[in-house]
Amino acid sequence: MTRPLQALLIGALAVLFAGAGYLFYEWRSGGRPPNPVATGQMVLAAKFMGLDNQPQALGQWRGKVLVVNFWATWCAPCREEIPVFIKFQDQYGARGVQFIGLAIDQKERAGPYARDIGINYPVLVGGLEGMDFARQVGNSRGVLPFTLVIDRSGKVVTTEIGVLKPEKLESLLKPLL
Amino acid sequence: MRLIFALLLLLSCTVRAGEPELLEPEKAFRFSARMIAADRLEVRYEIAPGYYMYRDKFRFGAEPASISLDASQLPPGTIKKDEFFGEVQIYRGDMRFVLPLTVAGEPVPRFTLNAVSQGCADIGVCYPPQEQKAEIRHTGLSSGALSAGVSPFLQSAPGAPASAAAPRGKPQSEDTLIAELFKGGYWALVMSFFGFGLLLALTPCVFPMIPILSGILVPHGEHLTHARGFALSLAYVLGMAITYALAGIAAGLLGTLLSAALQNPWVLSGFAAVFVLLAASMFGFYELQLPSALQSRLAVTTSKLHGGHFASVFVMGVLSALIVGPCVAAPLAGALLYIGQSGDGVLGGSALFAMALGMGVPLLAVGASAGALLPKAGPWMETVKRFFGMVLLGVAIYVVSPLLPAVVYMLAWAALLIVFAVYLHALDPLPHGAPGYRKLFKGVGVISLLAGVALLIGVLSGSRDLLQPLAGLRGAAAPAAQPVLFRRVSDLPQLEEAIRGAAGKPVLLDFYADWCVTCKEMEAFTFTDAGVRKRLDEMVKLQVDVTANLDEHKALLRRFGLFGPPGIVFFDRQGNEIKGLRVIGFQPADKFAATLDLVLN
Repeated sequence: MTRPLQALLIGALAVLFAGAGYLFYEWRSGGRPPNPVATGQMVLAAKFMGLDNQPQALGQWRGKVLVVNFWATWCAPCREEIPVFIKFQDQYGARGVQFIGLAIDQKERAGPYARDIGINYPVLVGGLEGMDFARQVGNSRGVLPFTLVIDRSGKVVTTEIGVLKPEKLESLLKPLL
Repeated sequence: MRLIFALLLLLSCTVRAGEPELLEPEKAFRFSARMIAADRLEVRYEIAPGYYMYRDKFRFGAEPASISLDASQLPPGTIKKDEFFGEVQIYRGDMRFVLPLTVAGEPVPRFTLNAVSQGCADIGVCYPPQEQKAEIRHTGLSSGALSAGVSPFLQSAPGAPASAAAPRGKPQSEDTLIAELFKGGYWALVMSFFGFGLLLALTPCVFPMIPILSGILVPHGEHLTHARGFALSLAYVLGMAITYALAGIAAGLLGTLLSAALQNPWVLSGFAAVFVLLAASMFGFYELQLPSALQSRLAVTTSKLHGGHFASVFVMGVLSALIVGPCVAAPLAGALLYIGQSGDGVLGGSALFAMALGMGVPLLAVGASAGALLPKAGPWMETVKRFFGMVLLGVAIYVVSPLLPAVVYMLAWAALLIVFAVYLHALDPLPHGAPGYRKLFKGVGVISLLAGVALLIGVLSGSRDLLQPLAGLRGAAAPAAQPVLFRRVSDLPQLEEAIRGAAGKPVLLDFYADWCVTCKEMEAFTFTDAGVRKRLDEMVKLQVDVTANLDEHKALLRRFGLFGPPGIVFFDRQGNEIKGLRVIGFQPADKFAATLDLVLN
């Protein structure tokens, strides 16, 4: 093998590996949070049935600090955080915070549970379509609980997968009031 | 090259492994099922560490309803104290349970298992109930002889407590054949891969290794004993095998991301470049061997050690595996991807190690013969080398074909065929009394020349069909058979909509591209068959033309875990993909008709 050809071969390999590494990095760093403005618009454009069988558009709460919580009765961690949300709704409701519960569940289960535990904010029934909606707005793995916080301008401030601790929720809401 | 690539990936993976990530449900709770006796079905959930499933949430059913499953005897789980649900039984790790199965009335050859399950992750999130399906083939239910075919995927059934969007299941890229290979247990799998390696040894991929090996053996000259020759080539083959084993481990641990990476234009171009370089060595532009500086360094540093020469030979084996890697990459793709899905590094490593040993068998034979079997140089040999060079160039064109417009693709083939003909002396007069092989080569050369010229004329006259390059010259007088009417879809939402709109008909989805030879073959020979036509009439026929290779095309290919066309995917009347029936590659009319029958029933 002559020298230039050796150099060519080695050079080609080097370029190839460098390219591969870069591409892999690009691939890994995918799954960025969705565009906060567009996601917010998507949420505010959504419409789901309420527990009273009346369709409810999320757009009616535009201008408030919205906390949209995806939950289900079969989801133990969801049940864990809902009492916190009830407390926060009491505490911050007057200052423009609005919690929304979107149940990935049947109305027959979500309704009685909401009544028993005393949920003091609107509960909408998403069913399994609600799960697709959750995926579209940033819950790529389709798990519960999943919570979105949207500011008064309709921009998504954060998407949270898993239980939202009271301290964290407070620190998220305070700057938005 | 794929190997290095895989290793690189592995490296980058460890670097960025800091953030914990939630698994897709079908990865967290990996589902499979098989018949273990005529009246017993084994269901298996491989639950990823950190995840658990609720015992009381399992529901099993079968279609047709004449098969009933008894799920009342699930094994006890471990107790989890839950603040809200009280004490619940959960499963972790590798769970298998046996479900007694009874058949009412006529035995059926295959049935569908529907499994509903629900689980959570320890970090405090839960997955919605998911329904998974497995096609169980049940060929000898009455006789007791059984075979099982399993393909896990998610299903969405209207009204069922399952995911509502059809394309939720992570695509499985393997063909059922490969999948079945993997069901035979560890040793069966390893042996299969050894056999696979033996087959690969018959491809030109091993050819570039022979000059390297002869470079190792020849310096020993007359002193080379059979034992030493064998030992040297064994060291070389082991070096190669260990490199492949590492690739297998990487594939096992990395999962399916390889398939995504393999659709990248840069990666494809890189592979093609390596093929071209290998071909150049076959044409004698350079000798394929280690850089001499590196070779002598290795010799110096290792000769001080006892048996040091073996070490350097071993390193050469490693390096040659890296150099020749892309050559075997194409046939390996399916297997590697499957290993990826198994998530089992040990299995992947052993399988590829065995495969490399199989590939090394001819090299071991060359070594054990103390060089006597080394191909002798000579005009005959040169022609064979050039032939392999041509094959490698052909593979290079094939690999980059998804990136090329049809015109360029056809021109490349035309050029290759014509140059090949020239190398075969198609244009030189045969000397009087030429040996028989010269005549044979000339004949092959002339055929190649004519094919190349036909392609060239065809493409220049506007044909974009590799199989019928001159069709355009027939004029309007030749009415082609009525083409199958496919509805074009170009992205995922369109596909979903079309499947929804199928109104209870099964759906056929054909991945097509102008450069796809197999697609043209299917069109020309299979879709034109009357029996196939009749069956196709009962289906909704969709086609994705991925010639332009747009982002949405890539997304569609990725969705189905396909490398590119050809690929025909079927959906049942409910709009769920029928796994295990995919047609990848050419199927003659009778076989394809049989496949369609399975879809229709």
